[in-house]
Amino acid sequence: MFSLLRKERMWRSHDLRRRYDVVIVGAGVHGLSTAYHLGQLHGVRSVALLDRGYLGGGNSGRNTAILRSNYRTPEGIPFYDASVKLYEQMSEELGWNVMFSQCGHLTLAHSDAGIVGLRVRAENNQLMGVDSRLIDLGEIRRLVPGMDLSDRARYPILAALYHPPGGVIRHDAVVWGYARACDRMGIEIHTDTEVTGIRRNGRKIESVVTNRGEIATETVLNCTAGWATTISDMVSVPLPIVSYPLQACVTQPLKPFLHHVIVSATLHVYVNQTDKGELVIGAEIDPYQSYNMRATLPTLEQMATYTLELFPQLHAIRVLRQWGGICDMTPDFAPIIGCAEEVDRFYMNVGWGTYGFKAAPAAGKFTAEMIATGSTPGIIAPFTPARFRAGKLLGEKAAAAVSH
Amino acid sequence: MSTFDFDGHSVNAEPGDTVGSALYRAGQRVFSRSFKYHRPRGLLCAAGRCPNCLVNVNGVPNMPACVTPAREGMVVRHQNAWPSLETDALSAAQHFDFLMPVGWYYKVFRSLKLWHMVEPHIRAVAGLGEPPGVDEIKGEYEHAWWHAEVAVVGGGSSGMAAALEYAGRGASVVLIDDQPSLGGRARYQSSAADLAAVRERVSNEAGVRVLSRSYCFGLFEGNLLGVLQPNPHGAVKERLIHLRAGHVVVAAGAYETPLVFANNDLPGVMLSTAAQRLIRLHGIKPAATAVVVGGGPRAAGVVADLKNAGVRIAGVVEPAAIRSASGGHCVTGVKTDTGSIPCDLLVICGPLVPDAGLLAQAGAKLVWNQAHGAFLPTGLPPNVSAVGSVCGTGLAGTPANRGGASKRSFVCVCSDVTTADLDGAVREGFDHIETLKRYTTTTMGPCQGRMCQLAAVEICAGLTGRSMDATGVTTSRPPNPPVSLGALAGPRHHPIRRTPMHDEHQQLGAVWLDMGDWKRPRYYRAGSGDETACVRAEYQAVRERVGLIDVSTLGKLILQGRDAGKLLDKVYTHRFSDLKPGRVRYAVICDESGVILDDGTIAALAGDRYFISTTTGNLEFVDQWLRWWLAGTGWDAWLTNMTSGFAAVNLAGPKARETLRKITDCDLSSESFPYMGCREAEVAGVRSLLVRIGFVGETGWEIHCPAEEGPKVWQALMKAGAEFDIRPFGIEAQRLLRLEKKHVIVGVDTDALTTPIDAGMTWVARLDKPDFVGRAALTQASQAPPRESLVGFEMQDDTLPDDGAPVVLGGRPVGRVTSARYSPVRQRTIGMAWVPVDHAAEGSAIAIRSGGRLVQALVKQAAFHDPEGGRLRQ
Ligand SMILES: Cc1cc2nc3c(=O)[nH]c(=O)nc-3n(C[C@H](O)[C@H](O)[C@H](O)COP(=O)(O)OP(=O)(O)OC[C@H]3O[C@@H](n4cnc5c(N)ncnc54)[C@H](O)[C@@H]3O)c2cc1C
Ligand code: FES
Repeated sequence: MFSLLRKERMWRSHDLRRRYDVVIVGAGVHGLSTAYHLGQLHGVRSVALLDRGYLGGGNSGRNTAILRSNYRTPEGIPFYDASVKLYEQMSEELGWNVMFSQCGHLTLAHSDAGIVGLRVRAENNQLMGVDSRLIDLGEIRRLVPGMDLSDRARYPILAALYHPPGGVIRHDAVVWGYARACDRMGIEIHTDTEVTGIRRNGRKIESVVTNRGEIATETVLNCTAGWATTISDMVSVPLPIVSYPLQACVTQPLKPFLHHVIVSATLHVYVNQTDKGELVIGAEIDPYQSYNMRATLPTLEQMATYTLELFPQLHAIRVLRQWGGICDMTPDFAPIIGCAEEVDRFYMNVGWGTYGFKAAPAAGKFTAEMIATGSTPGIIAPFTPARFRAGKLLGEKAAAAVSH
Repeated sequence: MSTFDFDGHSVNAEPGDTVGSALYRAGQRVFSRSFKYHRPRGLLCAAGRCPNCLVNVNGVPNMPACVTPAREGMVVRHQNAWPSLETDALSAAQHFDFLMPVGWYYKVFRSLKLWHMVEPHIRAVAGLGEPPGVDEIKGEYEHAWWHAEVAVVGGGSSGMAAALEYAGRGASVVLIDDQPSLGGRARYQSSAADLAAVRERVSNEAGVRVLSRSYCFGLFEGNLLGVLQPNPHGAVKERLIHLRAGHVVVAAGAYETPLVFANNDLPGVMLSTAAQRLIRLHGIKPAATAVVVGGGPRAAGVVADLKNAGVRIAGVVEPAAIRSASGGHCVTGVKTDTGSIPCDLLVICGPLVPDAGLLAQAGAKLVWNQAHGAFLPTGLPPNVSAVGSVCGTGLAGTPANRGGASKRSFVCVCSDVTTADLDGAVREGFDHIETLKRYTTTTMGPCQGRMCQLAAVEICAGLTGRSMDATGVTTSRPPNPPVSLGALAGPRHHPIRRTPMHDEHQQLGAVWLDMGDWKRPRYYRAGSGDETACVRAEYQAVRERVGLIDVSTLGKLILQGRDAGKLLDKVYTHRFSDLKPGRVRYAVICDESGVILDDGTIAALAGDRYFISTTTGNLEFVDQWLRWWLAGTGWDAWLTNMTSGFAAVNLAGPKARETLRKITDCDLSSESFPYMGCREAEVAGVRSLLVRIGFVGETGWEIHCPAEEGPKVWQALMKAGAEFDIRPFGIEAQRLLRLEKKHVIVGVDTDALTTPIDAGMTWVARLDKPDFVGRAALTQASQAPPRESLVGFEMQDDTLPDDGAPVVLGGRPVGRVTSARYSPVRQRTIGMAWVPVDHAAEGSAIAIRSGGRLVQALVKQAAFHDPEGGRLRQ
């Protein structure tokens, strides 16, 4: 109880030091998780986390915070499963409630082909020990009585993939919890600090240039999501990443009636109701590449249209606000984690696109191990940047029309 | 006069009343309960901007009573209070507020188990209004698209002046105002005569189109305004107007916000403009005795209005002197530095905040102006301007009265955030306005920060010692004011596409399948047979006699021009420039990474004219993709989408030739019309394109004819085939027929990562062509063995695995079944599956998981039916 009254700073601000062992660009959830695990598991604490904005102001503060591990491929499933398990322990580990609500996650099928796609996932999940199964209309009705399961819909719901451990988390709480833990270990978080250049000498990195001065370091980790290529360009490392806006919106608060996360790839929409009672609605990515986060009307209209396909009774419920983030999309809907082929100790943990929040604990943990030990743990090995040169893309795109 | 029902009581409403004003006149003072502490709340802004009077109207939750017009027979219910507004059990929460300082839930429930236990209880008390019942699905909405040279947002004096000025210069102007009549605050602050004169001028100005009671909720890219107009006509509930304007003038004015002091949220504490609205727009005497907080001409104006309404003025107090409001359910007095004054209304002349959200959305920067006491827009884009109080005109800064940290001084009335909460949060390091917002949820309530943003920024600046500008404001996001999902979605039309032969199928007993927008027969119900029996009968007709399937849904494109072949060579993996007129070739499109995007056939009608077919679902994509690659080349190639212009059928089976021969003069012999050939000829007297291909593995012709002649050709074929007992067949039979031939269906057997190399169709990728989309990737892929291959298999027992069942090796999924069916020719279950390359050899054993257990199958390389393709060529 006393912890309620104690007013400790969650994280402090610092002057920039002249050098750090590791400089992480981007203090979103991936940068923070990697820093946390560097300090916690490997004793690497001379770490600077740089962000040009406020803490968690990138996609980590803009996402719909859906967590799940019912992926499709044998590479993806164990990785996301490890991540969800780390999230399950996170409140205890950080001494800070990250409000992981494991309300269960339903992916809807509206066609025969949709059912087949879900079946592939259900079967693969079961084989790999993830709780996930195809359910029929009767069970959907029992779980989500408020949804339109009638056949008056143009594309009636036929079945769903039910994933009980999936759910939503309070994204800001994760960011703040990690930040506090990093701060307690002496890792420095520098907000309002923009990286404008990286100096290198041949294959070696020498320093990172920021709007607040230059920092000597040999090791840089790129965690800048939608801006990933702007950082890798600084050391001439090409990344097959394109940036697309992704938008979401929230409605006025209602008394709770929807207790699961609902995702429909056919309708390009995902909906859940927060503990405050608001409905959070997410869209598919915008049709055009852009760095512009300005909200657009057509996307808002689409979100509304698709939501009403699922919940026609909500037509008079009003949307309160709409926002967007910039997503770093890769050709195969899988992330890029590894060291650049062209530059020593230029690491990246990017390409998280529209689905990376759920991956942060595991990605950060294994990225930290890679940086600290110099060798890549097997579980993240498939995500190597070298796969693009070798033409060995991963198979998540097949399951990722709307992937959160 | 009309009456409506409020919580079971009948309430009278005068003409022009809103639900809120009628309730207030009837003596209602508590309108809602607050979000967290369930404190009683009363009318605060009376302008639809604060969260205090949200009620349920006719089943719709969260409606602002103060701006909802009162209508006869309405059913109005309170929200978020139990058992009643007056005695709300959960208001006990406020006595435990010391346990619930801001962010308490982050700190108390620090294990997942504990959180899972309490979360349902927290959820249970969350939310404001009740969600509508599942059957409340009625509601008509409309979308409209307007254009104007100039759009003026805000019908106050400066908005009207701007509209008149632009119209005077000859521009077409749309003037949008959210009130029932033009005038803005002049409606309740100026003399009626002055206002009438300007209104008259506006209504006489032909160039100005006035949209009253309509609000603009967002200013989007390209000067697109989202405008919501309620009840535009008839039964339409709301209309969303997409208004594209050459120039946008924002004249949205400024709105009043509360002052922060202890108990500032009590019912009876009211903004001065709210009191003026009640008095001058609704003729209500708002109280017996009032104290006015404020000074200067604003306070004087309100005092005069109150006096005119018969209210006794117990005092006029400077904001800095206010200590707290007192009272339980409603205000009973006010404590000042010099003593207490009893009253039943406390009127606040609060800070005026320019309504600059639209300008911020357009890219304006909001800069603090001390003299005006407001953030004012600067740096507007060239085709957006602002006039009136939204730019600070007439605003005189109100001295801030922010007291100290107190647990009863509410900054954010939506989320029950107090000055003590903000103070605590800043001390915990949430000192950036954006993190402060997220941690305390200030500005994130139903009013979207209208009532609290300025106060929160001032308090944050005060606590951190930063300037107002360094503190800054949070981002303004649309839609503000909020907009209903229904209005955003508009009239929800669900297009259904039917082929020209739809009625034929219906009569033949078609059971329908949705394929995108199309309806296609899945199978035809015949006799008393179940699906399996019907499909089997259709299958047998094709294999043994003759069958007819409607393939009108295939995409049909005509490409012509000198460089048509060049474009096809560029986009498709195969070569087409050398395709002789009268010949057809299978065609695959890949993306740059070699992944199959679509397949179909291309028929050369002439040297510079090609007929392209695409899969049903990918027509729009292929159309765009071809245009995309054509753009900028300067090539002479013209693409026309003929999909709806043509009907198409596929006639197939050993008796297909005999059937077709009866109704065409075209020589159908294999010598003059070989497999993979095409001819233009008359069928049943209809000019048609005949393409000899064989997806189902039998002699057959795809016949394309003008859509309106489709039924005629269909009927003629059915009649001609009657002698052979012809059958129409549907998608299910087709899937089985093609599976026996191992013909790939893009999207079923392939996924978003399949290349032709993986799919065993190396022959379609002409790597010897100098260039085509995907060539580099396919060249690379062809040099290394693929990881997986698409193979045929036969089950060893009578299990029928589901489509999508995994292929398992060592307990891990290593592949999947794309399609499996019982094969009448093989008399066992066959299928296609993705398997690891080292399991792709003829006869390899693979394990498939079906119904939770593993079953054995053997890999088959050759097609299951007619592997040499002799029947196709017959
Ligand atoms: C609307 C939306 C919904 C989403 N929904 C989900 C979901 O439901 N589930 C899920 O798992 N994922 C979801 N995602 C994806 C998820 O949010 C991201 O993948 C994840 O947050 C990425 O975290 P990050 O740390 O890599 O990037 P970010 O949080 O974006 O952090 C990158 C940081 O880099 C900083 N930066 C950029 N350039 C520089 C520079 N030059 N110098 C210094 N700093 C710089 C930025 O300021 C930013 O803070 C969603 C994303 C969006 C936009
Ligand atoms: S008062 Fe409405 S959001 Fe704060």
